[in-house]
This record gives sequence, C-alpha cells and structure tokens, in this order.
Amino acid sequence: MSSSKKPAEYTPPASPSGSYYDLSDDDENEYNTITHTSTGRSVKLLFSKSKVYIHPSASSRDNIPGFIALLQQKPPSTTSSTGASSSSSTSTPPSSSLLLTWMPETALGDAYDTYVKVDLTDGDTPPRQTYLVPPPPSHYTTGASSLVTYAFAVPVSQIFSLLIRPPNLGWWWGSLIINTRAGDSFPALFFHDSECASTIAQSKRRQRDRFDPFGETGQLFWGGDEVLRWLRRYARVEKSHVEPSLYLVDPSEEDLRSFVAKPVVDGLVGKNAATVAAGGGAGMDPFTRVLKEARWNFLEKLTRVTRFTRRTAEDIIDSPKVPDQVKKLLRSPEVQSLQDEFDSARLYLARWAMGIAEQSERENRQRVWTTKDVMELEESSVGEFEILDMELGSMRIDAEKRKPVGLKEWNSWFDAKSGRLVVSVDEVKERIFHGGIEDNGARKEIWLWLLDVYPWDSTREERMAIMNSKRDEYIRLKGKWWDDVERRSGDEYWRDQKNRIEKDVHRTDRTIPIFSGEDTPHPDPDSTYFEIGTNIHLEQLKDLLLTYNEFNPTLGYVQGMSDLLSPLYAILQDDALAFWAFAGFMHRMERNFLRDQSGMREQLVTLDHLVNLMDPPLYAHLQKADSTNFFFFFRMLIVWFKREFEWDDVLRLWEVLWTNYRSSQYQLFIALAVLEKHRFVVIEHLTAFDEVLKFVNELSGTMELGDVLLGAERLWGRFKMMVEAVDRRNGVRGAGGEDEVGG
Amino acid sequence: MPAIKKPMLKVIILGDSGVGKTSLMNQYVNKKFSASYKATIGADFLTKEVLVDDRLVTMQLWDTAGQERFQSLGVAFYRGADCCVLVYDVNNAKSFDTLDSWRDEFLIQASPRDPDSFPFVVLGNKIDVEEGKRQISQKRAMTFCQAKGGIPYFETSAKEAINVEQAFEVIARNALAQEESEEFSGDFQDPINIHLENESSGCGC
Repeated sequence: MSSSKKPAEYTPPASPSGSYYDLSDDDENEYNTITHTSTGRSVKLLFSKSKVYIHPSASSRDNIPGFIALLQQKPPSTTSSTGASSSSSTSTPPSSSLLLTWMPETALGDAYDTYVKVDLTDGDTPPRQTYLVPPPPSHYTTGASSLVTYAFAVPVSQIFSLLIRPPNLGWWWGSLIINTRAGDSFPALFFHDSECASTIAQSKRRQRDRFDPFGETGQLFWGGDEVLRWLRRYARVEKSHVEPSLYLVDPSEEDLRSFVAKPVVDGLVGKNAATVAAGGGAGMDPFTRVLKEARWNFLEKLTRVTRFTRRTAEDIIDSPKVPDQVKKLLRSPEVQSLQDEFDSARLYLARWAMGIAEQSERENRQRVWTTKDVMELEESSVGEFEILDMELGSMRIDAEKRKPVGLKEWNSWFDAKSGRLVVSVDEVKERIFHGGIEDNGARKEIWLWLLDVYPWDSTREERMAIMNSKRDEYIRLKGKWWDDVERRSGDEYWRDQKNRIEKDVHRTDRTIPIFSGEDTPHPDPDSTYFEIGTNIHLEQLKDLLLTYNEFNPTLGYVQGMSDLLSPLYAILQDDALAFWAFAGFMHRMERNFLRDQSGMREQLVTLDHLVNLMDPPLYAHLQKADSTNFFFFFRMLIVWFKREFEWDDVLRLWEVLWTNYRSSQYQLFIALAVLEKHRFVVIEHLTAFDEVLKFVNELSGTMELGDVLLGAERLWGRFKMMVEAVDRRNGVRGAGGEDEVGG
Repeated sequence: MPAIKKPMLKVIILGDSGVGKTSLMNQYVNKKFSASYKATIGADFLTKEVLVDDRLVTMQLWDTAGQERFQSLGVAFYRGADCCVLVYDVNNAKSFDTLDSWRDEFLIQASPRDPDSFPFVVLGNKIDVEEGKRQISQKRAMTFCQAKGGIPYFETSAKEAINVEQAFEVIARNALAQEESEEFSGDFQDPINIHLENESSGCGC
C-alpha cells in the first residue's frame, strides 16, 4: 500500500473520518464493547506505534517497551442511540467508542504481530483491512493503570488533555502524558523514535517526499505527532496557547477560554498552571509534589497579592474612563514576551545540553530520563539562567521602556492646570520599574511620590499644603529633642541613642562627596569625633535619625537605618523632605528592625520557601550544607542590598522596589536572582554554612545590577505562573461549584 | 588512628557596636587598618592560618553586628565556637559595662559543655586615643577579668597595631586547647538552641 493512493473520498476539512467509515464500517458485529463485557472477543485496531516506553524507574533496565494504539470498540448501545441525534455520528465513531491504550509488548501475546503490522501500515488512514485484537486486559476505571504491567486504555471521550513534549536536544525522547477528565494522569509514555521502525520510515518518507523533516509544529517529526494525527481524525484537539505543550481533547467552551484563548493583560498562565489544572492530584505531577512539600502559607499570602494586582488591572481595563492609550499599555505584551523568554531559555538550555552531550555522547545516550528527570529538568530551568545571561541580555524589553524616566516625561503625565496625575498609577510604576529614574532632578521629585509623601491622586495645590504642614511637623518633631536641654544632658537612653547614631553616621557612605568632608568643627566637645571634625550633611543625618526617634519612639535607632537614610538625604538635600521620605521608607522597612527580629526571620523563611519552590535541587543542596536558615541573606534584605551594590545602583534598585510594581516583596526576588545567578558555584563548591555565608558576603561589589534585575523579573514571571497555578486550581474547584449553581 | 587533621578553630568576637571588632580582626588577619569601616551588618568571618606551638591551625574569626538587638541571630554561628573574644572601648564605659551581658548571652546561645572552663579573652581597644578620654582603667578591667575566673586581658589598638598579634596568639592557643578538650570528652553535643524571642536585657549593672 502506498501513501499516494489516498482514498479519493477523503476530504479532510469536512468529515474525514466519516468518509472512511462509509467505506469500511462493515463488521460492526464482530467486536464487542469492552466497557460492558470483559469476555468480549475483540476490538478493532485502528493505529498503533511501537517502541513507546514507560520508564518506571531511574534505571534503563526497568524501561518497558510497548505500543501506543488507538482501538475502536463497539459503541455502547445507549450512547449510540443518543449519539445518533448528532449529524455525524452515524458515520464517525463517537470518541467514547475509541480507546487510547498503551500495552507492553509482553502482554500482547499473539496479537503482537497484528500490532506490528498495523504500526508498519503505510498511510494516513487506518488500514482498509480490519485488524482485530483482543481488548486491553484492563481498561480505564479508576484512573490508575495496572500496577503490574502498566497497561492501560482510556476512552478518548474521557481524555481531558495531552501533555506533549517533543524530543529536543535537551532530552532524548519525546513524551506524552494523558490527563483524564477525572483529573488523573497516566505514566508518561516515551517515544524511542530511533528504535521505532514506523517512525523511522515515516520520517524518511517525509524527507524524501517533502524535503521537510519537520512535523506540524515545525519541530523534528516524531512519534507523538502520529498520535496527535490519529486523534484528530476523531476528536477536536486544540493546542493551548497559554501552555504550548498542552493539547486539549474535545475541550468545552470554558476550557477553550481558560487554556486556548490568548491571555489578556498579564495572562501568565504557565505550564504548571495547565499541568495542575489538567493533572489534578496525579502523583507524578511535579508541581503537585512541590505543593505538598513546600509550606504554603506564605505562597497563599502572595497569591492574594497577585490576585489583587490582577484584579486591579482588570478593573482598570474595564473602566470606560480609562483612555485608550492607557488600556493599550495595560495590555502590553510585556509579560507575554517575558514568558517567551522562558521558552527561549529552554531552547538555549537544550543547546547547551547538546554541547555536553557531544563531549560524552556515549555516556549521555545511556542516561535514562525518567519522567521525573524530564520534569525536574524543566522545573529547575530557572536555575540555568546564569548560562543564559549572555543570550538574554540582548533579548527583550523594548529599549524605550528601559530608558529612565526624566522630568519631561514625568511632567507630561500631569494635568497642566490641576497638577493631578492623568495616567494610571500602574503605568507610572511600570515605567519606573523597568526604566528607573533619571538622576538629574527627576529623582528629587518622583521619590517623594514613591515614598508616600505625596498621594498619587493629589493636586498641585494639595501637595503644596501637604508640604507646608509636613515642614511644620518636622520642625515640631525635631524641637521635641532639640529644645529639651534636660533630656539632652540627663537622659541616658537618649544619650545612648545619640551615641549610636553618631557612631554609625560617621561610618555611613563616607565615600559619597557630600558625606566625605571633615572640615566643620564638631559642635560637641565631649564627642569622640570632636577632634576629627564633621560636615553639615553628617550633622543633618544625625538630626534626622534623632527626630525619627521622636516620630517612632518604640523602634528607636537600629543599625542599618543610617544606610537607608543617606541616599534619601543625598538626593533630596532638604532635611524636612528627606525626613518624610525616610518615614515613608521606614514604614515598609520597620519590620526589619524590630526588637525580636521577627520581620527579618519572616523574610528569611519566605526566601527559604521561595528557593524550595523555585529551585528544588539548589534547595536540597543548601539543606545539606546546613544553610537553609538563609542567614547569609540577612545583610542584603535588612538594608536592601545597600552593601552589595555601588551607590548609583542602589538608587536605581530602590526606586524599582519602591514601585511595588510586581510585588511589595520584590526584594526577595532580587535575593533569589542573586542566588540563582551563582547556583552552580554554590552547588558545586560550597558544602557548609560558613562557606555559603562567606561566598555570599563576598558577592558584594561584584554584581551587575542590570543582570540581577533581569534575573529577578524572569524569576518573578516563573513564580507568578506557579502562583496562578495555585489560583487556578483553587479557582477551578471553586468556580466549578459556582458554575453548576448558575447552570 | 586517623592522621591528625588541621584543626579549625572557631573564634567569635563580641562587643558593643563601634568598639573596633572589625578593625581588630582586619588588623590581625590583613595587617591593615581603615578608618572607614562601615558598621557590620549580619555576620562575616576571616580565616587565618597560624602556628600554635608548632601546630598549624586555621582560625576562623567571626565578626558580628554590635547592636544587642541582633544578638538573637547569633545562634547560627555561635555553635561550635572554641573561644569567645569580648571587646570593649577603653574610652567608653558603657561598652565595658556590657561585657558581662555579652558573655552571658554567648554562654546561653553557644551552650558549651562546660561553661565555667570555656575560654574567653577580653580586649580593651582604642588605647591609642589620648589619655584624657580614657574611661576604664587597666586596673578596673583586670579586676573584672580576675573575678570572671581569670580571663586573659589585653589592651590593644587596632589602629596602631598594638598588642593585636599577642592577643590573638593567646586566643589561638586557648581555642586549640578548648577544641582538643572537646575531642577528648567524646561526642560533643551540638546544642540546638532556638532563641527567638528572648533578648539580652542589656546591661546588667
């Protein structure tokens, strides 16, 4: 039989399978419906493919070769009668009568030859001749495949989705996972194409006939393409746009909306989202595993954060008041393109893996990728970012968006008359998040907004009033200690605070020009610094910190606060403005300085969970190295990387963090990016807490901020996908109930 | 009997902020002094290989933030310490007064097997500052050290490199002795001391 002899009746778009069945539907009575009888004689073998393996363990010795096949059983009489009302059911077998099965070679017995024959049958349609085989020994009942043989058969009507990973250079075999509507998954089937005679033949024929070795996806033709092709004869199979490796089988309208539709706004519904939604609680689903292992309280908290921001974004989009231009910005492909980066990253990884493979090809060929390996590789791909940096540096975000915001652009966002912001706050923050702020005067203005001195909805007039009252309030607060001679001379606690502040101010950012001078005589002859001298700006820093003591008396001065204040003062160069900006900054940083250190612990624990979730191999290593207290991030988190980056970078980083554009906890993603960037070194070379701490401490001054920011954004994107998977999973459950109620 | 491995001596340096912990450590390890050290945040350490009575040992000197608020974080690195160095500023009486609470806090958190014999060394730093500023006399300091079971005491200047080498030599020797005594006393039980809420009540005087 040759492929050139396609049946002339075959007219693809209209009703392809119907045509076939008109021709060959001649022996309906010869097979039975296995759903109803286990003693049935046989079922029709439509398609089969050999050398499809299950990898039950990490050892290749355990691999089980088998066939994936599409079987047709006699439709149950009840369903066929209801099915008859639909137009095509008379000729097309309903998907409920079709079984997708996997059978180990050893379980086939005499039918083995038939399976081989069908596999090798050349052609796009099922064989003209009807091949009958015994029904699969076990069929889909509870979602579990037979424990002994792994054999399974599932009615096509019960397949919700297929998770299809074509082979690529990173992992040798393409794989297919069947997820059922009941939420179960069957073991991954690995297509050992190089052993499969039919795939080799089909691949060769493609090259010969069309000079096109590629399958429909543009990737190398492989066995999984065939399975998709079979299924498409009988069922609607839609590729998900949100999750490229997910194919939905006969999706409902709702599924189509959730998975197939292009995402709007920030539609970062990721691979794992789809897997989880489709795979439910299947034991092999790596994301579910992580879900179970990680402690989730915190993630759920962050989930709420993202939910909130998403809702806000949607609300804005829906509001008729929002100018089109802003709507367009909100729909920016930014996030989408970020997601694209992940794919590119994976490709890069694949190429990289190939390089390794060439070096030790033999060894690699013998390496067996279990499902777990494959998934873990994907799962941990965040960890490979360091090798991607050279590539990613050149990829991505629109150069316009990476330009710092200047005063001119800033002013254009305000109504000239009222001085009120006319664009959305999100838009402003988005610009600053990606571009930062110009240093020539723009920071001086914009920082006051980012630090909550000015409300975003204020008019110019309101701001003037705010500023006046804040100046008065600052003078009043400062007067509380300045004018209190008694306290200044007698109160030991106060003097102690003053000494601490003085000690620290004199060792804060002294390399920055405005803080470097020592030419002003120190006003206090009792001070240790009397002989050394001071300068006006150092004195201002001291006054500001002492005044903050009045403003927030329970906190007091804690080391690190001078590090937070000095950039604000240096930029704003106005004590009252700097004070209120500092108060705004401290509002969010206060927890870092609490007496019981609970705020720092909380963040370190959160970071622990994040790493556990985002990079399990690295986390496992840190566990071994007794370093999961994450204390080595203490310094970075308490003063927001002030000691790790140069002055200019700190200014930039802080304004990014102040926007809360992605999360109010974005500093954790910066930390994660720092860690991920060095994960190989950590894993390869650091085996104990002291080594990790030393290494991380010594990163100070070695990191390129742009790199770290990009890394953090990528990690955030990935994290968000995961969180939305949680969302979606919860949502699917919750929404499912609601839908039923709503009819 | 395994070959004698090079011992790693873990030394913790404690004391109020600004007494010169970082400076002393850097003077000893790097022979350098800088007036522009920033306040230490978190913790860091330097290592130095030294000969103690012809034995080569590695000293790991841990430097920590001086504000007592951060003490509760010490658990992570106090454990397994072989010697604790208490530093005060001879020109700052308060930094001397708090030595006792630093010592107590260390003993609580590090939980050495035998607290009474655990080696401490006290350093009175900044003796380079003009005499008129001095607030704690040598005599007073030595009396304190005597009362605490004969703690070795040194007056140092990290800036002028006075007595630094000598002090750390004693620190190394005492740390090594401690390390060896622990080896002989069998399994050293690593204390798991979760000390989250409590904080030193500060100066006990």
